Amino acid sequence: MISNYLKTGWRNIIKNRGTFMVNIIGLALGIASVIMIMLYVSSELSYDRFNKKADRIARVVFRANINGEEMNEAVVMAPVAQTLENDIPEVTDATRLAKSHNNRLEYNGTYYGQSNMGYVDPNFFQVFTLPIINGDQRTPLDKPNTVVISETLAKNIFGSGDPVGKVIRVTNRDESYTVTAVMQDIPENSHFHFDILASTLGYVNAKKTTWMQSDFFTYLVLKEDADIAEVEAKLPAITRKYMGPQMIDAIGMSYEEFQKDNDLGLFLQPLTDIHLHSDFSDATTLEQGGDIKYIYIFSIVAIFMLVIACINFMNLATASASKRSKEVGIRKVLGSNKKQLIYQFLAEAFISALIATVLAIVIFAISLPGFNQLAGKNIEFYSLLKPVYVLCLIGLILLITVLAGGYPAFYLSSFNPLHALKSKFSGSGKNSGIRSGLVVFQFVISAGLILATLVVKEQMSYIQNKDLGYEKDQLLVVHNTYLLENNEDNFIQEIKNNPRVENLTHSAYVPAGESYNEAGGIFLKGEFLRRMYFYNVDENYIPTMGMELLAGRNFSKDYGNESNNVIINEKAAEALGFGQSAIGKTFQRDTHEGLQDLHVIGIIKDFNWKSLHKEIDPLILKMNPHGGIIIKSKTADMSGIIEVLNSDWNSYNPKEALNYSILDDSFNHTYLKEQKMGTILTLFAILTIIVACLGLFGLVTFTAQQRFKETGIRKVLGSSASQIVALLSKDFIKLVGISFLIAFPLSYYLMNKWLQDFAFRIEIKWWLFLLAATITLGIAFLTIGIKSFKAANMNPVKSLKIE
Amino acid sequence: MLKLEHIYKWVSSGGRRIFLLNDLNLEVREGEFLSIMGPSGSGKSTLLNVIAMLDDFQEGKYYFEEEAIHELKVKKRTEIFNQNIGFIFQAYHLLDDLTVYENIETPLLYKKVKSSERKALVADILDRFNIVGKKDLFPHQLSGGQQQLVGIARALIIKPKLILADEPTGNLNSKQSDEIMQLFHDLNKEGVTIIQATHSESNVTYGSRTIHLLDGSIQKS
Repeated sequence: MISNYLKTGWRNIIKNRGTFMVNIIGLALGIASVIMIMLYVSSELSYDRFNKKADRIARVVFRANINGEEMNEAVVMAPVAQTLENDIPEVTDATRLAKSHNNRLEYNGTYYGQSNMGYVDPNFFQVFTLPIINGDQRTPLDKPNTVVISETLAKNIFGSGDPVGKVIRVTNRDESYTVTAVMQDIPENSHFHFDILASTLGYVNAKKTTWMQSDFFTYLVLKEDADIAEVEAKLPAITRKYMGPQMIDAIGMSYEEFQKDNDLGLFLQPLTDIHLHSDFSDATTLEQGGDIKYIYIFSIVAIFMLVIACINFMNLATASASKRSKEVGIRKVLGSNKKQLIYQFLAEAFISALIATVLAIVIFAISLPGFNQLAGKNIEFYSLLKPVYVLCLIGLILLITVLAGGYPAFYLSSFNPLHALKSKFSGSGKNSGIRSGLVVFQFVISAGLILATLVVKEQMSYIQNKDLGYEKDQLLVVHNTYLLENNEDNFIQEIKNNPRVENLTHSAYVPAGESYNEAGGIFLKGEFLRRMYFYNVDENYIPTMGMELLAGRNFSKDYGNESNNVIINEKAAEALGFGQSAIGKTFQRDTHEGLQDLHVIGIIKDFNWKSLHKEIDPLILKMNPHGGIIIKSKTADMSGIIEVLNSDWNSYNPKEALNYSILDDSFNHTYLKEQKMGTILTLFAILTIIVACLGLFGLVTFTAQQRFKETGIRKVLGSSASQIVALLSKDFIKLVGISFLIAFPLSYYLMNKWLQDFAFRIEIKWWLFLLAATITLGIAFLTIGIKSFKAANMNPVKSLKIE
Repeated sequence: MLKLEHIYKWVSSGGRRIFLLNDLNLEVREGEFLSIMGPSGSGKSTLLNVIAMLDDFQEGKYYFEEEAIHELKVKKRTEIFNQNIGFIFQAYHLLDDLTVYENIETPLLYKKVKSSERKALVADILDRFNIVGKKDLFPHQLSGGQQQLVGIARALIIKPKLILADEPTGNLNSKQSDEIMQLFHDLNKEGVTIIQATHSESNVTYGSRTIHLLDGSIQKS
């Protein structure tokens, strides 16, 4: 029997090739999207789960709100790990990790450039599952100055030789480490990646006892049955006990007094949440993670794609019901019962789903490289062959069979055989009502996505063109010029004299990309006010960056020692309570030697020194040039300068390559996530409208067929071609119009939510709606128009002869 | 074999009843070859459909082999129909996507007959109707007469006790008609009860009894 169903199904498909192609292409695009998103989402969700204790590990994080400044940091103080392990019985183990910046490796006289290095507590390998493939399996980091290196680094440095027992040097800090073990490369789906993990036993910061400074990523292993919320509830008491006394010393305020107006504390974050649920300041983040929001958005979009494609299937199947009604009638007279007919139509849907899935896998294979690039992933084609995914695919085929074939199956099989044989079926009536509803649904999604895409594009172009308070174009940042040591000044002078350079400032503080970072406690008349950030700059900073001085003066060599003078931004003037008359006022900052008086000599206009996601915070510029340089180029083409930089740099320091970045690129990189989402959204908007229009095309084809005779008669009666086109298109265009009424409010609401992520954002203006409507309607009309136009220009005699 | 008593069937149109069958009484005995004649719209097809239990009626009683059809549920009626009756259409109503062989086989599939038995039955009937050579052709590759032959073969494959034929030769020329009618005649000789609706006087001559319908009532018998 089944073979009979499949045979009939297949012959039916062959007979209705056109409709079938529409169905299959639509379905295949839908399934391909689902496969793609499925692999993407599962890859995102798999982060850190390779750790055997993944479900029991939690990271300790720091959150605070101090005088209006919100702080979210993934690092905590050095003693936290040990304290929590001692004081909380549910904590069975605690380990720390600190990132080490600037590590130039040397072994046997060869230099290996920068590597990812971290300091970890000796028990790190008991907490995280990082298999050791060579060397000391159990206690590799039990002694000071020992390191575990990755397989890749081992190959790089030692080739096929045995690294264990060898000594490598970090030259810029003049430290030597003995390699005790080699670990497998850290899996891609880990929230951290290091090539060298050194023991904290020799690391000065690890011995700090202060609760006033955060340096360490701290991970706890909880008892198997421990409740993370219960453990978290114990943290405030611990903070009070240990931070309290130190607070009085540091800011002269008791913990209780401080917490009256402020709020700070330690919290726990499950390990498996780190990748997708992190909102910590960039400076304290190990690697840029994903975002659960996008997981939701993409999953929903993929499901929509599939539903739209299934709707096409349903619509075309029920629309062509009149064609099939005779068959249903005969089969019933021949003794088929309803159930058998349902099976038959499901079998047809099954064949379609199967073919579409095969086609989808081909589409997936072809578009995978592009998708990987877009999503920044390394999804392999053969990962689709994992049993889980094969099962998912089979499930998907069955789901589509039921989803797409179910309604037509039940609908067609319920025909009364007599009526069916007399072909009393037209595509009208109750059934066409459902069909209209489904078309509206499809276009709600298409139009909604198009509007969403336009909003994202608009926000992105706003970001590109916003007046940031500085000129981000033609700026070149050279990092780590301090590496040149004594030659740094000569190097800077040489670059400054280059005719291609318009201006140059000696500073490593930049508003986008890799930047130095300094923050400190600010005091007013000896009383703690809040923390503020500092930019260490020289007198050329403001002109080089194209910033605007609102009042007062810039730093200048003419005024001698400027080390106690500062220029503040408007927000700082406001926060300090100085307002417009800040010039000449004094406040203090916390230093190792106590409070230092700072005199305001100028106010600069607020500039976006954080990303546009964040409001502009108070900022203090002080004269203390160091770290790196920022170059303003005379021309947009900076390749000439880069060449000069390289050769100059190499003449001083051949051990390490020049490290530079273009500020504009760094700026764009900040919004990479949004850029990617914009691109993916555009892609899906295009795909959904294609699939929706495929369905529309099928329906119009069907309508034109059904009204073949009517159009012929009308033409004989003197109707013009355009009137016929209007006749055939009118109803569909109306449906698309209705879909706007649902799609736009929905999309407006959701996109407004998305925009809340930006402190600086656009308003969704009326013309965006108009544009989205025009695009959708235009494409829909084009689809319908082609077919109706053809029908309208048919020779009427042809259509009338058929009877 | 079957007995219709005071059958009324009507449709309402604008508040008025239009009678399709009006106080119709009919008894058909096993082995009969009954012809129903009458002008278009006289209720011939409706009567056949009612007998086939494909269509309902509002009033009256219908007994099929002692079974009171008017009291049965749809499912049971369909079962009785599927067991006992073969239906032949004027427009053949073959399944366009299936070959001759598959068309004839389909009723057996629905009856869940085993594969080997199915093959034997279909082969027998193909042989008997002399259409073995056409078994892999599709309906549109056949002439009208051949298509109707397949239609009859398909109706006979389940070995029905009763054959209902609604103008079986309406679309055929006279030579083809005679062949089909001869076939009916032979079947009737073998004991199959046949009821045909027809316009053709010559077809009637093959039958054993004729009734005339007008406005849903039997005129004379």
